[in-house]
Amino acid sequence: MGLKRRLLLGLLASIWVALPVQAQTDAQPSAGPFFLTLHFAGGTGLVALGGGYRVAHQRLEPEVLVGYLPAKLAGRAAAVITLKTTYIPFSPRLGQSRWEVSPVAAGGWLSYTTGQQYFLTNNSAGRYRSGYYWWSSAVRVGAFVGPRLTHLGHPSTPRPSRQTLYAELGTNDLYLVSALTNRSLKLPDILTLGGGLKGSW
Amino acid sequence: MNSWYSCGCVLALTSLVSCSLVEYSPNQTHLPATERGLTTQTLAHLQQMPRAAAGDTVRFVFVGDTQRFYDETEQFVASVNRQRAIDFVFVGGDISDFGLLREFRWVHQRLQQLRVPYLTVVGNHDLVGNGRAIYQSIYGPLNYSFRYGGTKFICLDTNGREYGFGAQVPDVPWLRQQLQDTAGSQRTVVLSHVPPTDEDFDPALVPPYTATLRGCSRLVFHLSGHVHRYTAGQPFHDGVTYLTTYSLAKHRYHIISLWGQRQFRLETVTYGPEA
Repeated sequence: MGLKRRLLLGLLASIWVALPVQAQTDAQPSAGPFFLTLHFAGGTGLVALGGGYRVAHQRLEPEVLVGYLPAKLAGRAAAVITLKTTYIPFSPRLGQSRWEVSPVAAGGWLSYTTGQQYFLTNNSAGRYRSGYYWWSSAVRVGAFVGPRLTHLGHPSTPRPSRQTLYAELGTNDLYLVSALTNRSLKLPDILTLGGGLKGSW
Repeated sequence: MNSWYSCGCVLALTSLVSCSLVEYSPNQTHLPATERGLTTQTLAHLQQMPRAAAGDTVRFVFVGDTQRFYDETEQFVASVNRQRAIDFVFVGGDISDFGLLREFRWVHQRLQQLRVPYLTVVGNHDLVGNGRAIYQSIYGPLNYSFRYGGTKFICLDTNGREYGFGAQVPDVPWLRQQLQDTAGSQRTVVLSHVPPTDEDFDPALVPPYTATLRGCSRLVFHLSGHVHRYTAGQPFHDGVTYLTTYSLAKHRYHIISLWGQRQFRLETVTYGPEA
């Protein structure tokens, strides 16, 4: 169980560490700007497009993604719609440069996969008695952590641009349940990797 | 656009594609070539193997649902590898719990440590979500048959509830045809996940299914999983024997020996911490 506990502690720690660090974003607006996202893998389709709006003094990035899962990868093509929030506890500037590095961003997501073969709930499928399957095959929830690298546009422009490159190591609810009930499943067995680009102009 | 952006794109794509953690969906069917069509691969291997037991005896391990019992599956493999004179292992469906690709791979990673080949039949949990396409990708057809040691093994999908019943599954005409095609064998065994005594078997197909089995004089018995326990009997009072076996959670499995026309012996092995 040690590995799973470490994963959870890591998530909690990244949030905890974030709280005292306030100073560097004081000059930032409390919300905005809008951003666009191009996301790869991580359980949200081969590629996903979306966007969101930065809130909580630049610390939270809630967003919506629409992913494409091609037939070649899943037998039948599907869309994966994901609601996701990333929490950026701290994002220190690299010296006097226009670059920021966030060693640990963390977040959670909820996704819905389209397709007749997926049921929203056991009851909505219409062929099972109540409680036959306890999970939803269409909806997954998950959590992730990962680093980010951000490039800031020139501050003299009225709306400075910013572009972020990020990677995410995560897992989903059903993988976690599998690992928590089996000593022989290790943390790398249940991890997924994703990443992408975010930009505001 | 900024040059670092395109540079970043290339970096991100390269690192994503080269890493085994990369997953587009837990429901994806895409597999490395060596893990595709395992049933066909195994049957080809099995045909090359001499029988492990003497005379006309075929001896195989029969076990049920491996679903999310990964620790137990490792203990099961260790126990089977200590047995002697086993031809193959048959897993009676519910390989996975949630019908996700990684689950099938976790089970395969463990079962491929067996010293003998293993075969499967599809279970209801294996059909959840995109499971049917995943099972077909990793193992192969949902209905298939093979001959080994003078025995015809017929393996078929009996998970009627997953199809909303509708009198389509199991495919009774296919079963009838398979039972009639007796060339090269002297006895027949039918294997499925859901037994016809279970509420998850399409009730409309229980009479034609059992009647078809009754009509086969060479049938040794009908083997199933699903109920996670051992049962044996002739529930339709027609001379046809139906057996069910343990799930991996029960730390027990069966070794079945077949010989002669319809002779068989059933041994029970207990393994793991309680053995």
